[in-house]
Amino acid sequence: MTTALEGQLAQAAAAVASLRDAVGRVVVGQQEVVGQVLLGLVAGGHVLLEGAPGLGKTLLVRTLAQCLDLRFSRIQFTPDLMPSDVVGTNVLVMDPAQRAAGTLFAVQKGPIFGQIVLADEINRATPKTQSALLEAMAEHAVTLAGTRHVLDEPFFVLATENPIEMEGTYPLPEAQLDRFLLKVVVPNPSEAELCEVLVRTTGRATAAPPKVMGQADVLALRSLCREVLVAEPVLRYAARLVGASEPGGPDAPPEVRRTLRFGAGVRGAQSLVLAAKAKALLDGRPHVGFQDVAAVAKPALRHRLLRSFEGEADGTSTDTIVDALLTAVPARPAHVHAESSAPVGH
Amino acid sequence: MSHLRSNGAARSFEALFVPRARDVRLRLAARHALSGAVAGLVVGVVVAIAAWRGGATTLRASAPATALVGVGAGILFARARRWSDTEVALYLDDVTGSAEAITTAVELRKPTDGVPDREDLRRTVDAKAALALEGEPPLGPLRLRGPAVWRRVHGLGALALLAWSVVVLQPMPPPPVVAPGAPGAGTITRADVVGLERALALRHLTARDDAQHQRLEALAKDAERLRDDLRRGLPQREAQDRIARLKEAITEERLSLGGGERRAGLESATSRLGRDAATRGAAKALGDLDLQRFDEEMERIANQREAEDRASARHTLEDAAAAARRERAEDVARALDEERQSLDARARRAELLRELAEAMASSGTASEEVGKLAEDLDARASDAAARKLADAMGRALEKLTPEERERLARKLAEQRQRRGSAGAGGDLKEMADALKSPEGQKKLEERLRDMAREDMAGGESKRSQGLEDAEEGLDEAEGQLVPGGAVPLPSQGGPSHGSGSQGNGAQANGQQGSGQQGSGQQGNSSQANGAQGDTAGSGPSRGGGPGDHQGTTAPVQGDTLTSRARPKALGARGMPGSVTTFVPGRAGGSTVVPSTGDLATARGRELSGVEHSDVPEEYREQVRQYFQP
Repeated sequence: MTTALEGQLAQAAAAVASLRDAVGRVVVGQQEVVGQVLLGLVAGGHVLLEGAPGLGKTLLVRTLAQCLDLRFSRIQFTPDLMPSDVVGTNVLVMDPAQRAAGTLFAVQKGPIFGQIVLADEINRATPKTQSALLEAMAEHAVTLAGTRHVLDEPFFVLATENPIEMEGTYPLPEAQLDRFLLKVVVPNPSEAELCEVLVRTTGRATAAPPKVMGQADVLALRSLCREVLVAEPVLRYAARLVGASEPGGPDAPPEVRRTLRFGAGVRGAQSLVLAAKAKALLDGRPHVGFQDVAAVAKPALRHRLLRSFEGEADGTSTDTIVDALLTAVPARPAHVHAESSAPVGH
Repeated sequence: MSHLRSNGAARSFEALFVPRARDVRLRLAARHALSGAVAGLVVGVVVAIAAWRGGATTLRASAPATALVGVGAGILFARARRWSDTEVALYLDDVTGSAEAITTAVELRKPTDGVPDREDLRRTVDAKAALALEGEPPLGPLRLRGPAVWRRVHGLGALALLAWSVVVLQPMPPPPVVAPGAPGAGTITRADVVGLERALALRHLTARDDAQHQRLEALAKDAERLRDDLRRGLPQREAQDRIARLKEAITEERLSLGGGERRAGLESATSRLGRDAATRGAAKALGDLDLQRFDEEMERIANQREAEDRASARHTLEDAAAAARRERAEDVARALDEERQSLDARARRAELLRELAEAMASSGTASEEVGKLAEDLDARASDAAARKLADAMGRALEKLTPEERERLARKLAEQRQRRGSAGAGGDLKEMADALKSPEGQKKLEERLRDMAREDMAGGESKRSQGLEDAEEGLDEAEGQLVPGGAVPLPSQGGPSHGSGSQGNGAQANGQQGSGQQGSGQQGNSSQANGAQGDTAGSGPSRGGGPGDHQGTTAPVQGDTLTSRARPKALGARGMPGSVTTFVPGRAGGSTVVPSTGDLATARGRELSGVEHSDVPEEYREQVRQYFQP
């Protein structure tokens, strides 16, 4: 007999699967990217998408917003973008009746007040404008003319970065990259995927994707995600991974000592665990396993590891460093793993 | 997790986890015990090989014991490293691929502080974990049983067992051959040296004075110390040296009568004794310091029937003692006085026995044996004859009837009347009175038995006998210290059996006379002495080269065996030749003393006695070694 919770889990998994399918009707391939974006959505965090132009980042976000029946807003970051362009401003009221009533100014909310916000090419805006967005991401609220406006939940920001253009860009500082739960790298499509893309984009326009979930469903998913259980050995595994990322730590592997200046930190551990919970939930499980933590390690940690000069000179990517961490830090105690991986018992 | 079966009625998690956890722990413990047993076996094999090489038979079979110790150590190790529930759960999660559902279910059972318990969550997790435990593990059902008990390294145990079997069945290697050391360099350990007890008995001799008593006590203590040192272990040379010194000291003591400043007194006494024909033989013996022969001469005089020689001898002894006293040789004078007293006692006994024999003969109560022994006493005039006669008379008296007793008593009374009260007259009256009653008869029988046991030899003779006995005992002891024993004496009848356990005991037997074919000597007395802890491998080899010549037969106790040889007696003819011997110095005398050439009386201290004798050449070396001190 299944419990109510099992039913909820099954429903959640099914809903997310439907969402994935719905997105897949519009976005060709990118299954892993879609999955990681959904992880971020369910975990209640924000996602930073990095990829070359034309890989469907904006399409993905727009499609996701359509499928979720949430308010979608897009912010195209340019160097001349002002913070008020993001959060909104007070404008002069032109209606005589309102003016006669004494209302001279009205709040014009900016695109930040959407529920799914696409911050396109966030690294093109000035740090001041970036910080306005990041502040809203952290607090889920905006202050306009002294008045605090709480943003509607779910508030989900997907920012994109273009790694090609370097001139005229303002790379996000590490402390602010920390605001993003996950950093998802959007890869180039395979040949088959590219062909499919060409077919879809140069032919007849495709139909809009169906709405699969609403606001309540998303909030329920996030609540359920928090309920997912993490056993202490799994928690300790996540902690050991983050601890090993500190170059000065006793358990840091040689690769880390050589290529990193700073490790993932506490927020990295929090992101790791939240993302692992979301992963377990999307798999229909009420508990997190070691493979969940390992599966979300790269998106959760890659943007939090600060490389040293040697790491940058080597061209060592943070993904390589995360791989080194996963190899060096065993999930289970060595004596237990030795028994479970030994030849079959007699 | 498609491999997990969906089971609507999944058993409770505990009902599934607890037995699985027990199986996992048991298998781990079994493996540790098996590893311990293998390690113990390997150690046991190493010990067995070392024991086999070292000749330790008991240790060779110790491998099973070390294996058991290893099992115990393995179990203790398993207890110390017992897996917790979480560790077991992690193991089961890994083999079932259940994404830590089992671990989460185990963790949920731990107490949490301030965290609200979610019953629905617990039930959901339990259901997942139970499903994982019930389902088919991705790598097969064997994985779910637990860790492997058998490892490849355990194959060493079978090899070790095989190696141990080979070592146990292998015959022990022969002990290494120890090269014989330099002669006398070895250490001798003897628990009991036969012969030393005669030297120890010196302390029980009646000394002539306090000074001699102390000297005898010192000699006995030296012998005692030597015995104790031999028990602990003594170098052979040192042992022989100490025995030789002890013998010299005993000889010196034996020849101490009238020594040094008392020499003149001894010579005066000897001279006085020599003037009397009856005591001329005794004078010669005293001059030779052969006190036993001196006593024998006195014994003869005392026991002979004629009283004139006895009276003369008594008078001469008195004069000789006086002469010795004049020259301040008090020890000589005392010895002569002792001998005179002994003379009187012997004479009295002999006279008494003769009177009693005569009375018994005339009363018809004497047995044929009594008659013969009475004649023997007259013929031999010796203490032995007198004792035998006394013993026979005692036995004869036991058989007397009351009438015979009365008759004998009357005869004794008549004899007493004829003799009067002088000499044995008093004794005759006493015997006659005793025979008047049965109780008196018993007392007379007792007195005769006492006479039969009584040793009336002179004090100096006894001392000399004891000292000579001690010397012989030391000779015997010395023979036991020599590896291989003394050289066998030649026998015309061929080799005879000897007592192997007595080692050189036959050496003493051989001194009884060259005319006798003494019991043969075991050339391999190292065998005889082996039981006494002698150094192995020493001793001469008959077959040439060192080696074990112990043979497979037990030693033969040959002291009761008679030789089968029928040698031709050489007769009593003495072999001519001169002998160099130790002679007490006399002023104006020569140190070269011509001897009778009679090797039958040769002592161990007579050097070169063989060279001028008529001993056949082929026996000379052996005879020479026989007489070497």
